[in-house]
Amino acid sequence: MYICEKDFMKSSQLYKGSLNTIIMKLLEENGRMYGYEITKKVKEITKGELKITEGALYPALHKLEAEGFLEVEVEKVDNRLRKYYKLTESGTTETVNRLSELEEFIRNMQTLVNPKLSY
Amino acid sequence: MKLTSDQIERLYQFTRQHYVEYYDLQTELTDHLANGIEALWNENPKLSFEEALQIEFKKFGIFGFMNVVEERQIALTKKYNGLVWQHFKDFFKLPQILGTLSAILVIYRILTFLADVYMIFMILFAVIMIFFFGGLIVMRIKNNRLNKQSGKKWLFQEIIFSYGRFAGFSYLPMQLFIHLEGISKTNYGIIFISVVLVLMILLDYILLIRIPKKSEEYLTATYPEYKLM
Repeated sequence: MYICEKDFMKSSQLYKGSLNTIIMKLLEENGRMYGYEITKKVKEITKGELKITEGALYPALHKLEAEGFLEVEVEKVDNRLRKYYKLTESGTTETVNRLSELEEFIRNMQTLVNPKLSY
Repeated sequence: MKLTSDQIERLYQFTRQHYVEYYDLQTELTDHLANGIEALWNENPKLSFEEALQIEFKKFGIFGFMNVVEERQIALTKKYNGLVWQHFKDFFKLPQILGTLSAILVIYRILTFLADVYMIFMILFAVIMIFFFGGLIVMRIKNNRLNKQSGKKWLFQEIIFSYGRFAGFSYLPMQLFIHLEGISKTNYGIIFISVVLVLMILLDYILLIRIPKKSEEYLTATYPEYKLM
């Protein structure tokens, strides 16, 4: 049962629209991060309930970068190159907007799903 | 346990085998796979490198790296279009707009002075198209030379040196001009033709000269590792 629930959450459409906001929020908190670190962090915070798939993470990062919300830094770590992402100035402003939008959405959904909470 | 340089090279080779042509993406995916493999080794040190690699690769789903490559292409093409638009807008700000308007006026004057407007227009159009496609060939050669020199392919460099998707749009003005013979006889028609010609010249100039001239700057901003190579 638990496995089914987990699988549902992983593939849920509800999360798809929030992927960019999740990434931006993490970057806002952590300064700069690389791809693998982001997937690990999300798994850690949600205790494995939410997993960002590799096939979705990089397209989202590249899209945000092309839109000017993220900038990149490359560093040699161990014996390989590592690409770090961080928020640009417009990315920081956008994060604030998207987070307040998301919070409002959550509030509205709570009111709709569980009207008692609104009292 | 950390990966050796040979294993990192094997990961680069693995990405190439899975149709990731571009060095920037190869690097990012190599680091991702390497992190995944090292994490797997921490849990199970007995796992072989190739076994761990297959486990990590499976996490990308049945299409492997395909989606990542395609989406990267879309994202960088969008970035390129944004650059073109930015340069284009420059010609409609003061003081450049004076030059743009003067160019329209000069072409309008030339066209109205001549008897066969449509013929002159077709000649000008042909010249613009020759520059457009001639430039495309020259830039493709330059791109291939740069790739050969560095032994690496960069997606944004390829987009810059092949005009992004703009080369495919060139049939649009051609279609438009087939139907222009009629309107070239009226005054408004000649103004319209002059505006279209100037816009085409501006686009040629931006795609062919302005952006490639600053390509190094744009490439370094997109790929900080570009200068490290």
